[in-house]
Amino acid sequence: MNSFVVKVSNLVKTFETKKIIKNISFNVNENSVTGVLGKNGAGKTTLLGMLMGLISPSSGNIEILGKNLFFKKNEILKDINFQSPYIDLPKKMTVEQNLFFYSRLYGIKKFKDIIYDLVKKLKMSDLMKKNYGSLSAGQKTKVNLCKALINNPKLLLLDEPTASLDPETSIFIREFLLDYQKKNKSSILITSHNLEEIQSICSKIILLKLGRIASNGNLNELLKTNNYSSLKDFFLGQG
Amino acid sequence: MFGRILALIIRYKTISFGSFPRLLSIFYWPSVQILFWGFFSNFLIENNTTPFIGVLSIILSAVVLWDVLFRGQLGLTMSFLEEIWSRNLTNLFITPLREYELVFSLIIISMLRTLIGLTPAIFLANYFFDFHLFELGFYLIFFFFNLIAIGWSIGFVVSGLVLRYGHSFEELAWAIIFILLPFSCVYYPLDSLPFMMQKIAQVFPPVYVFESMRKILIDNQVEFQQLYRIIILNFTYLLLSILFFIKMISSSRKKGLLINQGE
Repeated sequence: MNSFVVKVSNLVKTFETKKIIKNISFNVNENSVTGVLGKNGAGKTTLLGMLMGLISPSSGNIEILGKNLFFKKNEILKDINFQSPYIDLPKKMTVEQNLFFYSRLYGIKKFKDIIYDLVKKLKMSDLMKKNYGSLSAGQKTKVNLCKALINNPKLLLLDEPTASLDPETSIFIREFLLDYQKKNKSSILITSHNLEEIQSICSKIILLKLGRIASNGNLNELLKTNNYSSLKDFFLGQG
Repeated sequence: MFGRILALIIRYKTISFGSFPRLLSIFYWPSVQILFWGFFSNFLIENNTTPFIGVLSIILSAVVLWDVLFRGQLGLTMSFLEEIWSRNLTNLFITPLREYELVFSLIIISMLRTLIGLTPAIFLANYFFDFHLFELGFYLIFFFFNLIAIGWSIGFVVSGLVLRYGHSFEELAWAIIFILLPFSCVYYPLDSLPFMMQKIAQVFPPVYVFESMRKILIDNQVEFQQLYRIIILNFTYLLLSILFFIKMISSSRKKGLLINQGE
């Protein structure tokens, strides 16, 4: 039997009078990579925001790692993390200062060893003494990813992790994430407009359409059942 | 808990004191203020236009104490606004950081910034005008903590408003203190205000601090009833402002404002 890292039931989010998330329910399996797809305005960012406790749901229930997000938010936040190219780290601090700062916030003991190990794997040792604000988009993505992994999260939320990166860096980040997920048996929930990327790394997808779940399930089975040869065709057909 | 508070203090310290121009901006203005008022007071004394000799001490004490309030508010508000300007709120609020830990960190960094900002000004006043702030004795500590607490109360309200209602409220970070200034009776007694303004001034604690300061420096007397009033008013305002700030964070969660908030 599968155990779930995320259990969402009857989730609704309304901003003023506009319903963005319309009564959705889904689960995310342990030790899996799940893609959340949808056109702009489908509700992906709002959904991720609610899973991190940044946005309060209007109604419904979110359980993460077996704990209710409403009642045990701080316990849950110790074990999850997030990366997005659209969210910055403090620009006036060096990369090293930023990583030390976040390690302390997550209450990590002996964080220097963990950070330097991650830095080595992400091939970013030369960035440590540089100001975060002076980095290129690709370098920032690596630093953000490093920040997202410092607490060895059991659930990693990624919002378009390879957006605006050159192909070489994109491939490196993608392979790094897959390798990390397998070694740590963690779960990844990823949103991306890059359908090839989603197809290459996700075993399961959740397709959002105007705040509702249009499709949800094993990627290969969904393609087979609906007679599509690629995720791109599926997205264009269903999304 | 202490680890997270320490993390934030190190972060704010790095930003506030990490570069020379920023450090300079913290102590430059109080020093200019003290020199300006000091020379002006000397001019009044030398021309016999002032009725009593303690005027220099009163004016410079008022300048320093008013700056405690101003620096306290600015130190807290600017540290919090830095999180918004650097688009760091999302990353900050997805850590296990609790609201009260953020509140404590902002209070501590505001205190550090105020102390560092005012120290050169006090030394300059001592050197140029033979001014001894410590004439106020124990009451100096009392006034310091109460004035900085007023600064924190205003800082939490402004920070909450900027978080919830956006950048248009940032102007308040600089301006709000000057709305309070005429009602605080920093350089003149309460009864020199028109009746209606006196009534408004009495709602806020600064007026009692500056009235007490003058009473000590001129008459060498302490009105304990005023000191109690300062404590009660300050405690009430500080508590309400912290609750307001936390409420604004909660309201921002409902509105989805903690994602992508930035410059």
